[in-house]
Amino acid sequence: MTSATRADTVGIVGAGTFGTALASVLARAGRRVIIWSRDVSVVEAIQATRRCPRLPAAVLPEPLEATVNPRRLASEARFLVLAVSSKDVRNRSRELGEVIDGSHIVVHAIGALAAPVARVAGDLRPAGAELVNERVSEVMLAGMPTLKVGVLAGPALPADLAEGNYSSMVVASRFDEVVAEARRLLNAPPALRVYGSKDLIGVELASALSGAYTVALGLADGLGMTTGPRAVLVTRAVAEASRLGAAAGAEAKTFAGLAGLGNLLVRASGDRSPDYLLGRRLADGIVTADGGRTEGARAAITGVELAKSLRIRMPVLQGLAAVLTGKVEPREAAQMVGDTVAVEE
Amino acid sequence: MTGLMTDARPVREAENRLEKFNNDRERLLAEVERRVMARRISEARTGGDASLEYVLNDVAYCEIRRLEAAGGNGVDRWRELSRRLLGMTDDDKREELRALVRYYGKDVVGNFDPRVYKFATGIGPSLLGFLFSPTASLRDAGTTLRNLDAHIHADGNLELARACAERGTIVVTPTHSSNMDSPVIGLGLLLAHLPPTTYGAGKNLFTNPFISFFMRNLGAYRVDRRLKFELYKDVLKEYSTVLLEHGYHSLFFPGGTRSRSNMVEKSLKLGLLGTTVTAYKNSVREGAPNKRIYIVPATINYRLVLEAETLIDDYLAETGKSRYIITDDEFSRVGRIVEFFRKILVHEGSVVVRFGRPLDVFGNDITDEGESIDRAGRIVDPASYVRGADGEVTDDDQRDAEYTRALGRRLSAAYPALTVLHSTHLVARALYDAIAANAGTRDIYRLIRAPLGHLEVPIDTVIEHLVRLRARLAENPSWGAEHPLYTDQSATQKVEDAVKGLSTYHTHPIVDRSGQSTLQVKDVKLLYYYQNRTAHIPPESSEQRS
Repeated sequence: MTSATRADTVGIVGAGTFGTALASVLARAGRRVIIWSRDVSVVEAIQATRRCPRLPAAVLPEPLEATVNPRRLASEARFLVLAVSSKDVRNRSRELGEVIDGSHIVVHAIGALAAPVARVAGDLRPAGAELVNERVSEVMLAGMPTLKVGVLAGPALPADLAEGNYSSMVVASRFDEVVAEARRLLNAPPALRVYGSKDLIGVELASALSGAYTVALGLADGLGMTTGPRAVLVTRAVAEASRLGAAAGAEAKTFAGLAGLGNLLVRASGDRSPDYLLGRRLADGIVTADGGRTEGARAAITGVELAKSLRIRMPVLQGLAAVLTGKVEPREAAQMVGDTVAVEE
Repeated sequence: MTGLMTDARPVREAENRLEKFNNDRERLLAEVERRVMARRISEARTGGDASLEYVLNDVAYCEIRRLEAAGGNGVDRWRELSRRLLGMTDDDKREELRALVRYYGKDVVGNFDPRVYKFATGIGPSLLGFLFSPTASLRDAGTTLRNLDAHIHADGNLELARACAERGTIVVTPTHSSNMDSPVIGLGLLLAHLPPTTYGAGKNLFTNPFISFFMRNLGAYRVDRRLKFELYKDVLKEYSTVLLEHGYHSLFFPGGTRSRSNMVEKSLKLGLLGTTVTAYKNSVREGAPNKRIYIVPATINYRLVLEAETLIDDYLAETGKSRYIITDDEFSRVGRIVEFFRKILVHEGSVVVRFGRPLDVFGNDITDEGESIDRAGRIVDPASYVRGADGEVTDDDQRDAEYTRALGRRLSAAYPALTVLHSTHLVARALYDAIAANAGTRDIYRLIRAPLGHLEVPIDTVIEHLVRLRARLAENPSWGAEHPLYTDQSATQKVEDAVKGLSTYHTHPIVDRSGQSTLQVKDVKLLYYYQNRTAHIPPESSEQRS
């Protein structure tokens, strides 16, 4: 392995649908890719069939390789993409932290907040403690030695990537080097174009909140909302998310970009998103308030807490959170949101 | 503590590397000149803003503006340069640049006179002792001064800081409240058995002859904040970088200027702190990755602050940013300095310098052996932070600036826990809470205009507030701690002690007794100033109040 190859190799952590789809796009564009999965059968299947069982539509041509050995991943690639579920991010960050050093660059592609953990003053507490909601990059920084972290987000569906359809994403980091390297290594036009941003907080929040608003749109569609009011809902969602983001230290414009509006439009366009489906079920009265929580639902409740602490009014998110916590009925919430929107703008 | 890097022997006092500084000085200056010239000439090839013509014009323009505003003395030299610029050859420009770099280098460079150091650490304390005790004779002064540590108290993670000073180079990064900080931290280092450091001091501080004499000869170098052009900043940063690379312990105030509000600094300007990353990167490049630099957070905690009146006025007038350098404040009057010694330092433990656990230049914690550890507690090679994919050291100013910001975030997170709260701070907070409750607002601008009745507080009420505040503080070590010498004081004693301090030092009393059982706030602004040291402690919730 030459050093030049290491600089030009993309390491992907996780062989789920997104990680596999991204690997497929990059490998087809001639980029050297190495996937780390903990599942031996998945690694063997990739090596043997050039397909991943979790996304069989995606072809994984050579020189793509798969491994169960994280040390090999870290030694052969300096640029890594963390593509695991939000529930897995803490453990994977710690595992990865064992094998990487301060020179590695790690961007995550998790469009949600990290699964919450109960902790007090840095120590894990088993039960009864207040849950701490963190952005994924915060969890990464707590678990890894490198400070060079970033986020990759946007309306790129695994199916589109696998089929080579036109997709775009945005990478954000405080480090210019992270953005530049991500753009150099992940750009694979025409299938994938990667834009750059310095707004790490904004892209992470926009991506997570778009999940929350996807629930709201599922709910609205389930209640039979027509096209005009639906458009109002979308624009109000972007506006209030922008206000929250700006107060949290992000750039307002980020929420109207790929990670915010872009994500929302794609997630709420079909019936495959768990967040959207949760909204539909809520409208149908199928799901009780405490059941069926998705990442978007959790982002809604966390977002309301954040908005409260920053003194930002967020009628759409607050209405959704009220439904999710069983405080109001869906129709009542829709009425409240509509009324508030009408007087605010 | 055992096992601190140097297992074989306990660390009592780290070596004073500044003793060799005068021999090194010319070599250091030559290195600064060589580097700045090489960089500027290389960058000039790209043209535009980096061209030598632009760089020289920037210097001339900034100097003309500054000198004209100050009356015009010396402005001709720069007008003449400005006129000549268009006709200069490349060689002329290079020579002019070299002359300027050398000039500013010499203007910045410090000195270290071992005789002055011996005086300051030997005879000097006797002089200070005399100043502490206005009624004492010179014969008694020695006795008083042997108790210097009774007046200035240094504590914290001293053994690890000493071990770091032996293994590598330390950069002490204190909070900044007063112009007395430079001499006080110098004495704090002495009392902590830490080596003296070189430090950048504002050129305006050299106007006070007493302080100037010591600063000039104890390793201080001059930072002229009036010089805004890039070339000067370049020389200054390179000088700091070269000092660190050569193992000279340093001191920076990351807050930049004194805290106008007296709040513990949250947003740091960082300034020269960034040179720590550059210096470490250069050492790694030269094959010396174990030449470590350690950042030692520290707080300087005064019972009373010399320039409190000027600072809080400046803060409240919201001119703190534009009036970057206050020259006409208490510090420029020698009489006030004497008052500082006699009225402020005379109180036992009137200044506490608390040193925190050192960090590496990337903001990582370190082990007792001086190894960097990440936030998950794993040992990490700090050199890896400046290496690229091929293992070679890479230059990336934006990356290094981001590392410095990360370090700044760690420092600002460390300061509150290192804050030592005197009776003056605690009682000022208790009183402020009480008058805020009377007036129904915590807003300082409204409280300044509050009716006198709202500014009267029964002592019993102050004590109630104080008792709850002390209890909350004890439960939250991340907010800081009470003065270690006075933790046994009762609330009543604490109030008496604070009122004594707050009513006697400043031009007007901040608070005074009104009858036997009531305190009257006389100066809300200064009360606000002193309570601001607790501003990171949130107001009580209604449950806590009940």
